[in-house]
Order: sequence, then structure tokens, then C-alpha cells
Amino acid sequence: MMETFKLLAPLAWRNLWRNPRRTIITLFVVSVGLWSILAVASFITAWAQSSRDATLRLLIAQGQIHAEGYMDDPNISNLMPPPGAALVAALNRPDISNWVTRLELPGVVQSEYKTLPVSLVGVDPDAERRISSIPEKIVEGRYLNGLEDDSAVIGLNLAKRLKTALGRRIILMVTAEDGWLEERSFDVVGVYDADTAFEDTYIFTGRSTMQAMVGVGDKIAQIAFEVPEDAALAGVVERLRAAAPGLDIRPWRKISLIMGAMDATMGGVIFIWLAVMMVMISIGVINTQLMAVFERTHEFGLLRALGFKSRHVLWLVTFESVLLIGLGVLIGMIAGAATVWGLSDGIDLSAFGKALEAFKAGDTLYLEVKTSDYIIFPLAIWALGILVALWPAWRAQKISPVEAMRQAT
Amino acid sequence: MKAEKKPIVSCKGITKVFGKDELAVHALRSIDLDIIEGDFATLAGPSGSGKTTLLNMIGALDHPTSGQVLIDGQPLSGMSKSQLSDLRLNKIGFIFQAYNLVPVLSARENVEFVLRLLKVEANERRTRADAALAEVGLRGLENRRPSALSGGQQQRVAIARALVARPRIVLADEPTANLDSTTTGELVDLMYRLNQESGTTFLIGTHDPRVMEHSKRHIEMTDGQIESDIRA
Repeated sequence: MMETFKLLAPLAWRNLWRNPRRTIITLFVVSVGLWSILAVASFITAWAQSSRDATLRLLIAQGQIHAEGYMDDPNISNLMPPPGAALVAALNRPDISNWVTRLELPGVVQSEYKTLPVSLVGVDPDAERRISSIPEKIVEGRYLNGLEDDSAVIGLNLAKRLKTALGRRIILMVTAEDGWLEERSFDVVGVYDADTAFEDTYIFTGRSTMQAMVGVGDKIAQIAFEVPEDAALAGVVERLRAAAPGLDIRPWRKISLIMGAMDATMGGVIFIWLAVMMVMISIGVINTQLMAVFERTHEFGLLRALGFKSRHVLWLVTFESVLLIGLGVLIGMIAGAATVWGLSDGIDLSAFGKALEAFKAGDTLYLEVKTSDYIIFPLAIWALGILVALWPAWRAQKISPVEAMRQAT
Repeated sequence: MKAEKKPIVSCKGITKVFGKDELAVHALRSIDLDIIEGDFATLAGPSGSGKTTLLNMIGALDHPTSGQVLIDGQPLSGMSKSQLSDLRLNKIGFIFQAYNLVPVLSARENVEFVLRLLKVEANERRTRADAALAEVGLRGLENRRPSALSGGQQQRVAIARALVARPRIVLADEPTANLDSTTTGELVDLMYRLNQESGTTFLIGTHDPRVMEHSKRHIEMTDGQIESDIRA
């Protein structure tokens, strides 16, 4: 076996370079195909990650706890008491990095010019600074100062729509515990800049202020929590469900269905791209190897006449494919890694501004090399390339020596 | 009393028909032929007379439609493709009209190729290949690729390759067809010398009178049949 390898390996390598232009074109197809798969996978993964982080860091976090029924009907009758000792102990475990309690209810905001539906969120500002990006997104004024803070932080676009501004007052109306519509005026002390839909929806104030306004005592609407590793989220959710069996505990994918769908779709896009590239590579490899086999029919006849067995011909052509595709894969891997490494400081998307808001990504995408991608995709392409090249190899080994010799003489 | 030499090749009533029914072409018609050890035989005849077809049958490259070919007493019929490959490798050397060297291998590697298939150890392989190339007058050109050799030199490499494994018989199909007269003369002299010195058996399909001049046995074919078989 080793002898056969020693015989075929140099022959296969030299055969590759008999037609350098064709070999280079095939190498180009394979390497560019793999490079594009790796680059697209890195880009899409980074985009998905950025988009997910950006969205989850606004308000959702990675999981939330609600009273049963709140998610379907987030009104004042579906609130819950603050977490009990068992749930607090569960939330303070090291697999949860941060958690906050919030009171969130639908309401109406009114300025001198306009009345709009919103969600009023009563927050613990100190805790929010650890879990939410809203405090960092203040573009005018300040964020809230404490649980008792009775001012409001509103979104940039909402401010425009209400034709209000920093230092002006707005009226917020929310259904209170007693069923009556409670209204109260708030000073706008801060304006934040997130995506437009978010800005139009959420107004923040101190949690105690809001609890007092609607008369719910210490009741809350949600506990949002963050985990260091998304992969561990399912286990954390299960553990919390065990600690608080009567509550509705959901991971972010079940809260923001759009984000969950986007997350799943991103993986699908990578595989669609992979499939497209694999088809292109397969066509390229089959074409090259068939041409190489047809051109050398006479030579295969000669080799057979000299004592080469048909299996040697099969191995020789297959070996050429192994080397050709292997080299293309290697170049593609290097190019893919170099691209990702070259962009490791991040791709600045801030110039696109609001145009990319629909994709919800952050301003900078950080590409990274995912080891599994650099193992699975090259191996898949290599294996597929060799598989499709077996057909030309099979044809080559079927050539009878006398037919092959006759073709050229 | 001199012991009678055994035939290396025996053709017993071999026929070869290409195509079927009204399109059938009878390339060989009931050929009976023995090639004896040490023969320097030429196989002549006009184009289409069946020379190449007969050489292909003897070289185990093709099967007769009927009849039998025996090499060293072994019938080829019933042998698998792999066994036929082994037989060609071990017992038959080929020289073709169009040189037929592997273009990506040097002269030495082309000659060594057969020895590699025979699993000859590397040092011995090199020694034998260089000796074979020296024998055909190509000392110093061992590392040249075929494209860097003249037609005559390439055919010398092909002869070295055919002989290096010490086959029982060398089959040459129009080996001088593409060569000028000087080179043809040199190659014919070379093959004849190898036959005389080492006793290698040659069966040469040719039109070339310069080859036939050296022939110790001349077989003439017409329309797929042996018309005459004359020993000098």
C-alpha cells in the first residue's frame, strides 16, 4: 500500500501541473468558494451575535420571569410579587450574571401636541446599568437616578413625534390597581437613542415612583436576567422553573420570536450559501477532472499496458482530486482566516446609520474564527470534491488499454 | 544435440471480429503462430492486415473472438484483468510507435516506473534504470523529461523501459515509424544487438524494410491471415 502511495503521489502531483491554467482555475473556484463560505459564516455569525446582543441588551436580557398570563395580556391584573427567597437564591447563582426587577405596563403619553400609546417601565436604575444598554444610549440629559426618581427618560423619535424635549413635561396615563386611569406628569430628564420602534414604545421612570402611581405596592411585572453563556441558558431556565414553579419563565427566543427566528435563519443562510458553493465547486471539479481524464485516455491505456492495474488508475485520478481540492481548501482556509483576522478590529457600520436599523445590529461587527467552522466546512468541501471526482476516476479506470491505445494511434 | 527451445508465445487458431452481422470486420482469421525464445521476428503486411491486432492479442491487451493465446504455456483466456496486468508487467515489454512515455516523468523515472510496479527496491531500481539507459546510449540524459528529448531519444527510453524488467518478449508496434532514417538505423541496430547479446525475444510489427533486413524471422500478414512465415 505504501509502495503504491509512493508511486502515485508524485505522479498525481505532477499531473496536476500539466495544465497549470486549468489547475489554477479549479484552485481558484475551490479556494474562493471556501473563503466565501468562511467569510460569510463569520460575517453572518457576527451579525447575528451583534443583532442579538444589541436587541437583548436594550430590555429583554436573555430571559424573563413573569406571572402566568402577563405575556399574553400585560395588564395590571397580571403582576407578581417580588421574588421570594428561593427564587432570589436561584437568581444569585453564578450561572446568572445579573438580574433586575421591573414594572412594565401599557399606557398613553400625552404632550401639548400629541397623544400616543407607549409602555411605561419602572426600573431600578442602578441594576439597569448592569444589564441594559439604555443608560449608555442617553444622547441628551441624564439617565434615572434611583428607584424614587419621578422623572422620565424617553426615546429620541418619540420626543420628535410628541414635539417635546429635554426639560419639558409629559403626561403619562396608566390603568391603576383600582381600575381607574391614573395620570401623572413627568419631567423629561433624558432622551435615549435606540432603534426607532423601541424609541417609540418605551418610557422609563423609577420603579417605586411607578408602583406608587398605579398603587400596586411592591408588585412587579418582570424579572429580567442575564447569563454569561448563551449555551447554558436552557439549563438556567429549567433550574429557575424548578425554583419558581408557578411563574412563566422564558428564554429570549420565546420572548422575542422575531429574534429567535432571525437567529435560526442566520444559520440557514450559512448552509444555503454552503450548498450553493458546493454545487459550484462540484461542477468545477467534475469538469476539470473529466477533461483531465479525457485528455489522458491514451496515457491511461499506456499505463495499463505497462502493468498498471485498473485500481491504480482509479487511485491516481482520485489522488489528483485529493491534492487539487486539498490545496484549494488550504488556500481557502488561509484566505478565510486572513480575512477574518484582517477585520478583527471590527467592521464599522455606523456610516450606514438608520439604514441598517431594521437588521438591529450594533454599529460595529466583530468577526471571529469559529474553530468548528474551520473544521466542518473545509472537510465538507474536501469530502464532497473527492466524492464527485470519483465519477471521472471511475470512468478512467473503466478504459480498456487497447481502446485507449487505439484512440491515439 | 541442441535442446529445442520452447515457444514463449503460442497463438492457436485465433480470430478477431470487430462489430456484428453485416458490419463485422474480420481482423484476424484463424492465426496459428509460435514465437520462440530468442526470435527477432518481424511482422509485416499492409495497413489493415491485422499486425497491430495480433500484437494486441499477444500483448494481453485484447481478447480474441475465438482461439487461444498462451504466454509461456499459460492460456490468457479466463485470466482476470488484474492477472493480465500482472502478466504484462512480468513477461511483456512494449515499444509503441508514438514513443508513449509518461510526459511528467524523467527518462530515468519512466524506466523506473515498471520496476516500481514490480516493487523493486529503490537502490536496485535506480541502478537498473541507469544501466538500461546507458545500454541504449542515453547516459547523462537520465533526468530529462520526454519533452527535452528528440524522437529517437524518446524511443530509446521506451526501449530501455521495455527491457529493464527483463521481459520474456518485447512487442514493438511500428517502433521506427516516426523516426528519420539515421535514427531508425541506430534503433534497429540497438534492438538487434540486445537480441543477440541478451537473447531478448522481439516481435516487431513494421513496414520498414530497414527493420526487416535484420529480421531472423519474417512473418507476412494479409487480410488477417499469415501469408508466409520465413526464418532467415
